[in-house]
Amino acid sequence: MSGLTLRLKAPAHQRLNIAALTPANLAKLSSHDIAHLKVGMDKEALAVGDAFDISGTPGDTLTIEGQGAALDFAGAGLCSGTLIVNGNVGGYAARRMTGGRLEIHGHAGNYLGSGATGGMIHVSGNAGDNLGGIISGDRFGMSGGTVVVGGNIGARAGDKMRRGTVIVKGNTGVGTGTRMLGGTIWAEGHLGPDPGFMMRRGTLIAQRVERLLPTFADCGEHDLVILQILSKYLRDTLGGLAPKPLGKFAHKIGGDLATLGKGEILLPV
Amino acid sequence: MSQAPQTATPSKPMTVNGVTIDDTFAEAFGMSGTGIIITADTLKWARIAADVATGFGTSVIGCGAECGIDRELTPDETPDGRPGVRVLMFGFSPDALIPQVKNRVGQCVLTSPGSACYAGLDAATKIGLGQGPRFFGDGNQTAKKLGDKRYWRVPVMDGEFVIEETTGITTDAVGGGNLLIIGRDRAGLLETTEAAVAAIAKVNDVITPFPGGIVRSGSKVGSKYKGMFASTNDAFCPTLRGVTQSELQAGTIAVLEIVIDGLTSKAVAVAMRAGLKAVTTIGTVKGVTRVSAGNYGGKLGPHHYHLKDLI
Repeated sequence: MSGLTLRLKAPAHQRLNIAALTPANLAKLSSHDIAHLKVGMDKEALAVGDAFDISGTPGDTLTIEGQGAALDFAGAGLCSGTLIVNGNVGGYAARRMTGGRLEIHGHAGNYLGSGATGGMIHVSGNAGDNLGGIISGDRFGMSGGTVVVGGNIGARAGDKMRRGTVIVKGNTGVGTGTRMLGGTIWAEGHLGPDPGFMMRRGTLIAQRVERLLPTFADCGEHDLVILQILSKYLRDTLGGLAPKPLGKFAHKIGGDLATLGKGEILLPV
Repeated sequence: MSQAPQTATPSKPMTVNGVTIDDTFAEAFGMSGTGIIITADTLKWARIAADVATGFGTSVIGCGAECGIDRELTPDETPDGRPGVRVLMFGFSPDALIPQVKNRVGQCVLTSPGSACYAGLDAATKIGLGQGPRFFGDGNQTAKKLGDKRYWRVPVMDGEFVIEETTGITTDAVGGGNLLIIGRDRAGLLETTEAAVAAIAKVNDVITPFPGGIVRSGSKVGSKYKGMFASTNDAFCPTLRGVTQSELQAGTIAVLEIVIDGLTSKAVAVAMRAGLKAVTTIGTVKGVTRVSAGNYGGKLGPHHYHLKDLI
């Protein structure tokens, strides 16, 4: 595994926008140019060389040792290769990511995977609000790719999400799948209150739901082939990160009937 | 293509285990081929759906497509972890095959209890698989995209019919690989030919589209009657041996043909070799005397499979 390592020199006194720090971007730059890339967000922005010790050579993998920093936009625009962040990241990690792999060994802030269309995102800890959600100016939220969060996630995950898969090992916050248009959010724990608000299509899976909206209707217990396909697909693509395969039957709750109503909440039985 | 032999002239025959192998070749044609996977709750129901979907699929001349079951699949080999079968379909062109796939899946797989249908060929060129049948959902159908595959979920009376949006198609397929098995005992000849079909069934990427894999009515191109594209291959009809320009020697009672379609030319050759080996292993004990192959003098089909190269 060839690659570059950026190790934070000291806790940064300003937030850092590290969108430019992807393996593909850095592979095109000389070490001088890398050191002079601006990453600080203040008026006198820090450069990479000011904030980080640089070692290794640019390659397929970039490792950022960032404990103590406020790193926003980690892996934003990532299209190939692997970006590993050891430490927490701030907002907008994997923003508009199209491919490659983002490994965050820590927690992630809000809007993780917003606008992403491909690639694999793994957060070992928790993630904040609006995971895979839409931001102002975008037409959709997450539109592809896979996110695996080892802990819990915040509110309104998948807001206007169109495609892709989100796996949450813990629980989700309020309003999971708000305005969802497609894709899958699978929580191995439970869904917070009011999931699927104004959801048109898409699938939410969890062991239980804290509180259902009145515009969701019970469709009964069913043997759904698509769940076997989903379980097998995730096992094949995620290996050890895949959720525990679902049983044969699931309780289907359809909605949101306040809108198109082709979404579903599936509770394994 | 299952248009059977026009000529099969032996020149320097060889003998294997008492069976004469003509020094001739099978002449085959380029075709378009596609594959689908049919699964169900049990292998029995997957096979029922596959048998119906491949029915009336013997020859492109009259059926629109040549269809058959390639092999059974274990749960590990299917997208939904259920037992299944892989079906292959062959046609003159992608345009000719597309409606065949749509109609056969729509009428025979969608309707079969517990069934689901997936792409059975990974190829760069795709054709619609669920693009037509999904509309049976009347607006209640939903899609689920996983990776680069999109699955349609069509509500039906026993739950959901899941069907993948597309499957692959190849224009490098070959139709019309063949063996002509000739004998002096009709029952024994059938038994030997069945053994050859069973051996061919173990080869991947090929089908033998005729009933039980065997053709008793090999045809020649054209007819004395206007509008007939093919007619009986009189040179290989035993009852005409004395009154037509026959290819059969004295004592011949029957000729059975195995027609082989494959996704690749190599697969067809492997299948012919397997069939030939099965016949020569049994030898003459059941009345088989000779193996030949059908061709058109090498002028029509680009794929030539010489029997002497397959022994």
